[in-house]
Amino acid sequence: MTTDTTVTEAGPAPRARLSPRKRKKISLAIQYAVFLVVIVTLAFVADWAAIQHAFFNLDEARKAFPDILAVGLKNTIIYTLSGYILGFFLGLVVALMRLSDVLPYRAIALAYIEIFRGLPAIVVFMILGFGVPIAFQDYEMPYDPYGTVALALGLVSAAYLAETFRAGIEAVPKGQTEAARSLGMSQGRAMFTVIVPQAIRIVIPPLTNELILLFKDSSLVFVIGFTLSGYELFKFGESLSTRTGNSTPLIVAGLLYLCLTVPLGYLVRKLEAKQKRGRV
Amino acid sequence: MARRSKLTRLALLPAAALALTTAACGGGDDSGDTAEGNGSGVELVNDGTLTTCTSLPYPPFQEQDDSGEIVGFDVDMIDIVAQDLGVEQEIIDVDFAQIKNGAALNAGKCDIAAAGMTITEERKENLGFSVPYFDETLAVVAKQGSDVTGLDDVESQNLTLGVQADTTSLDYATSEGFKPQVFRHAGLQVQAMQAGKVDVVLQDLPTVLDWLKNKEDIAADWEVVDKVDTGDQYGYAVKKGNTELLDQLNESLKQAFEDGSWAESYEKWIGEAPEKTPTGTESGS
Repeated sequence: MTTDTTVTEAGPAPRARLSPRKRKKISLAIQYAVFLVVIVTLAFVADWAAIQHAFFNLDEARKAFPDILAVGLKNTIIYTLSGYILGFFLGLVVALMRLSDVLPYRAIALAYIEIFRGLPAIVVFMILGFGVPIAFQDYEMPYDPYGTVALALGLVSAAYLAETFRAGIEAVPKGQTEAARSLGMSQGRAMFTVIVPQAIRIVIPPLTNELILLFKDSSLVFVIGFTLSGYELFKFGESLSTRTGNSTPLIVAGLLYLCLTVPLGYLVRKLEAKQKRGRV
Repeated sequence: MARRSKLTRLALLPAAALALTTAACGGGDDSGDTAEGNGSGVELVNDGTLTTCTSLPYPPFQEQDDSGEIVGFDVDMIDIVAQDLGVEQEIIDVDFAQIKNGAALNAGKCDIAAAGMTITEERKENLGFSVPYFDETLAVVAKQGSDVTGLDDVESQNLTLGVQADTTSLDYATSEGFKPQVFRHAGLQVQAMQAGKVDVVLQDLPTVLDWLKNKEDIAADWEVVDKVDTGDQYGYAVKKGNTELLDQLNESLKQAFEDGSWAESYEKWIGEAPEKTPTGTESGS
């Protein structure tokens, strides 16, 4: 291949006393050449027809629609949002407990954060899905299985959100509390009308990041066990792909996750840029 | 810290909120829905539905057909039970591990476990089994043209054996000293066969025959090289101690054995007429 010869020739040939500029040029040429070699090799070695058949099979993809949207995507969004909303408020409470003057509250909050930040989400799902209902036979989770999912995802995300909120609350200048107090606001009023709203504004980008993470964590809820109408994106894609022996449904499910997370990631970058401008 | 002291009085608020959350989690004392409507006095976890736990896909006992409906031999049988109870069947898909250890039933996820499940002494500890409805045979599956004739060749030829997690196949393989590769459900097991990640597979015969019948690439490359008659049988299961439902289940099954609907379903899903019909006398539990 011609590209190979350029690599070997461009490499060791004129080593003696090159200007930095020229050296940079040669280095760039080598990098491009390597890139080209890899691409060309891939193009020849890979069985594109087989790859297309396995991953981008339009006939298989068509089978996934419309249910992958009406069932899979819908449930992923429901599970994630319900977990996020619960986690948001629980996280706020834990953050306030973490900043409390009462030692037991601080201890509980710290223990909570450490436990649920450290546990794999799937462990939480298993315990809530099977352990808790067996231990509390006389109680029933309201709106099951949605209740169980919301609680599991909420508990997991609350640990992260609590740390985020704490950072936000601590980032609000002290003068804000003092000003609010000097206006005659009570401590609690100052906290909820002055500090927390500003804190949340500060941490909107990391809050959005947590939403992205939760969208992915929601793919683990299949371990709880569902009816077909309760399948979320991953389980839907997985079950269809095991049924047909083709990976395309999983690719479709993956793309739909990206449809949710990429715009959110874009939003985070926008918000961060805006905050940066605001600070200058 | 200055901020911390100012937060003192807020301390009560998190406590109240936490109390609220725990109340919400543990709440809903209106538990134990009773299916009063079915007239038989059998308690069901969800009103008006007989909820079945199964592990998809497990053809021909339960799998999704092309339209996405869950169909199969077990589905037919439990439909008969549901009909006798005057309710509809609803199916929950859950890992087989949670079915065979009783967790899914004990957690109140479902009323009946129907998953082509073999009755074993160990499982009887955690489940209330129905009368047996199917004889278990394991199949050793290998690539066509390979000189594998049974499980013994796995060791001598240093091959990879694939089995499904938590099944009697796995118990059998490990008790024979094999270290098989384990798949979470039968669907992943068959995908591993298609991908060439396993050389030999141990799985229940009806499932293997269904693959050979319905999956072209499996039929083209694989064949049954040996059968293992374990002498065990399949049974449906209820939560241990749920005698009302178990009685109804056995009643409906015996009816199905006698009136020919069991045999009819057998022929439909297994592809041939049964040699003999279960008597429904020997109790599984």
